[in-house]
Amino acid sequence: MRDARRASIWFAALVAVIIGGDRLLSWTLSRVLVRSQFRYSRLYRGGNDAGILILGDSRGVHSFYAPAIEELTGLRAFNASYNSMSMRIAEAVLMDYLDRNQAPKLAIIEVTSLAFEGELTSELRTYAEFSPRLSALYDEAHPSAAVAGRAFHLLNLNSGFYLEALHYMRRSDQDWINHSAMPPELRNAAPVRWRLPTPENLTALNRMIAALRNRGVEVRLVLAPYCPAPSNMGEFAQVVERSSGLPVWNYSGAVRDPEEFADTVHLNERGSRALLAMMKRDGFFGMTEHPARF
Amino acid sequence: MRFNSLAFLVFLPLFAAGYWATAGRIRLWLMLIASVVFYAWWDWRFVFLLLFSSIVDYSLGILLENENDDVKRKRLIILSVAVNLGVLGFFKYFNFFAGSAAQLTRSLGLGVSYDALKIVLPVGISFYVFKTMSYTIDVYRRTENAERDLLRFTTFVVFFPELVAGPIVRASRMLPQLRHYHRFNFERMVSGLTLIASGYVRKVAIADSIAPLVDIRFAHPEAHNALSLLIGVYLYAFQIYCDFSGYSSIAIGLARIFGFDFGINFDRPYFSRGFSEFWSRWHISLSSWLRDYLYIPLGGNRGGTLRTIRNLMLTMLLGGLWHGASWTFVAWGALHGAYLVAQRFIAPIYQRVIRVLRVPAFASNAFLVLLIFHLTCFAWIFFRASSFANAWQMLTGILHLHGMHIADIDNRGRILKCVVMVGVLLLFEAATFLPKRRKAVLAATPDARVTVSEHPLEASPAMRLVFIAACVWVVLIFGSFSGNNFIYFQF
Repeated sequence: MRDARRASIWFAALVAVIIGGDRLLSWTLSRVLVRSQFRYSRLYRGGNDAGILILGDSRGVHSFYAPAIEELTGLRAFNASYNSMSMRIAEAVLMDYLDRNQAPKLAIIEVTSLAFEGELTSELRTYAEFSPRLSALYDEAHPSAAVAGRAFHLLNLNSGFYLEALHYMRRSDQDWINHSAMPPELRNAAPVRWRLPTPENLTALNRMIAALRNRGVEVRLVLAPYCPAPSNMGEFAQVVERSSGLPVWNYSGAVRDPEEFADTVHLNERGSRALLAMMKRDGFFGMTEHPARF
Repeated sequence: MRFNSLAFLVFLPLFAAGYWATAGRIRLWLMLIASVVFYAWWDWRFVFLLLFSSIVDYSLGILLENENDDVKRKRLIILSVAVNLGVLGFFKYFNFFAGSAAQLTRSLGLGVSYDALKIVLPVGISFYVFKTMSYTIDVYRRTENAERDLLRFTTFVVFFPELVAGPIVRASRMLPQLRHYHRFNFERMVSGLTLIASGYVRKVAIADSIAPLVDIRFAHPEAHNALSLLIGVYLYAFQIYCDFSGYSSIAIGLARIFGFDFGINFDRPYFSRGFSEFWSRWHISLSSWLRDYLYIPLGGNRGGTLRTIRNLMLTMLLGGLWHGASWTFVAWGALHGAYLVAQRFIAPIYQRVIRVLRVPAFASNAFLVLLIFHLTCFAWIFFRASSFANAWQMLTGILHLHGMHIADIDNRGRILKCVVMVGVLLLFEAATFLPKRRKAVLAATPDARVTVSEHPLEASPAMRLVFIAACVWVVLIFGSFSGNNFIYFQF
């Protein structure tokens, strides 16, 4: 009986220490997170005054090399793209950006991610504490994990993003891009047929465009290069144009040299610089909308 | 049911409540039924095989004890071994041997083909078969009395903490404990929870975090540079250690809470200074089983050098085959057999050289620890590889030494996280090498052999509370919750 009473008290103390430590540690680690130079830490810390904002998935990351954009345009660039980011997540990230940072002059949206449902919500939960929008998306995608995350806040910091944030504690991640060239075995790949945009993602894109225009931001919708370009990119672009009312700058077949790609869907630094130079020639970074077609 | 599943988190408190509310045979029934439910959660069909194995060895144990005619006793023990190895052989090795025989005949130009049977491997079969087999052998040797209570015997065989992945707790240790009534004991509960918490850290935070990094390297060695592959091998050494020692720790901790003492299964193996020491620290319940029921009956180290070499090689080859029906496991066992044989010849020369050169003990020990660890890692390549071709790809990828640039390695952040956690684990384990600490640990526990990994803090309940809370925080922030199976489930 005495042992049972001791056990009850001990268990109560254990639960209290676990929960108390969880709150204290997660609060401390969140303060560390928000000081990082990783793109989402900067975004949620606020105060950015980038002239050009880029949104998209991994193709957005590797096609729009921020340092090269800055060299070409003289404007500060902020690439908020990330691997596997669907348009619904991009919408939450964009709205959060606009809430906390100065509105950019130009927003570039790489629209490939309109075809996908992203897996990024589980990573972005790390920033859910700072964003009710991300929190809602995470609740929707992972309801039981979201409940666990509310009970134990440390769980939300258990992510690759937190490690990235630690890695970029002292330097910016905006120069993160592939440097390697496409391996020989990928160079003769046949063109595939790409999935078409989902209605949910198209609606999210339209809301993003409306929000940007309300703040006087120029919007460019882009399809970045592939090697080889999928067979239905024209159809893909038309679907987006019909839904958004904006032209799509279709560069899907604009870069053909495999040396300028890291794989079949991602440019490397050399490819990104080539694309950006081409875009500049086409007047992409100007303030008038006229799409190039390839 | 896995220890790292949500179902188990529900199962355990329910079982604990029932266990402490009951006594005597009702408690035994509860333990039996709960263990059957635990096992059936994976596949209920194999519960019958488990019960069949229990009933056969229960009956043969009684017959062996009652029988005084040596010839008849010998027949009975042969029957027991045949039934046990027959079950194991059919479910685990039939396809392996039939396939290998067909391949051999094909290579001889006989053109015999073989379509593998679709045989599901019952989880934990290698563990419970060894457990029941050692029981009948002990009764045959008259070192153990036959258990006359079928309920108690079956409970011994199926008790859930050690059912699916060990440790292999022998009847001589477990059956006497099943005859006693275990009262709830606060100290035992706290020390059991401490073991469980440290087990979860090793499994969920370390082994499961390492798993994807290792998997991708062994799946596509051609896509990684030499340094990356080398890191993959080192990480695997710690993945398998943390996975299996984590499971053992959870099993031993659970048993401790309910009043049972399983002994220890791992004792900081990567600090071994020789291979015989390694095998007295790694999977102790299996290596001692192989020693007592295979190596010593074969003659052990009696009968000259050649016979010792034969016995060592045979024991390790069969030990390798026990792990899985694949020639890569046999190669792993052969390597360890060769290491043990080589050690017998090299160790005296090494000791003489050390004495002549007056090398300080700590330097010699550090060299030996590193050497044994690296040779163990070399053997792990065969253990982990899906085939010899895969092992060869890994080895050539490492030995070509091209591309040793750290910048070309993917997931550096995740690798760094794993390296830090393994480093902390090793520091923690190394702490018990300090004689003062080890003495204190030994004094605080009734166990003859103690390891920090299984007694992380022999301290006050308050200190243990802080330790358990810290383990929970580590699991929350570093854990992988993808529900990975324990590696040894497949064995």
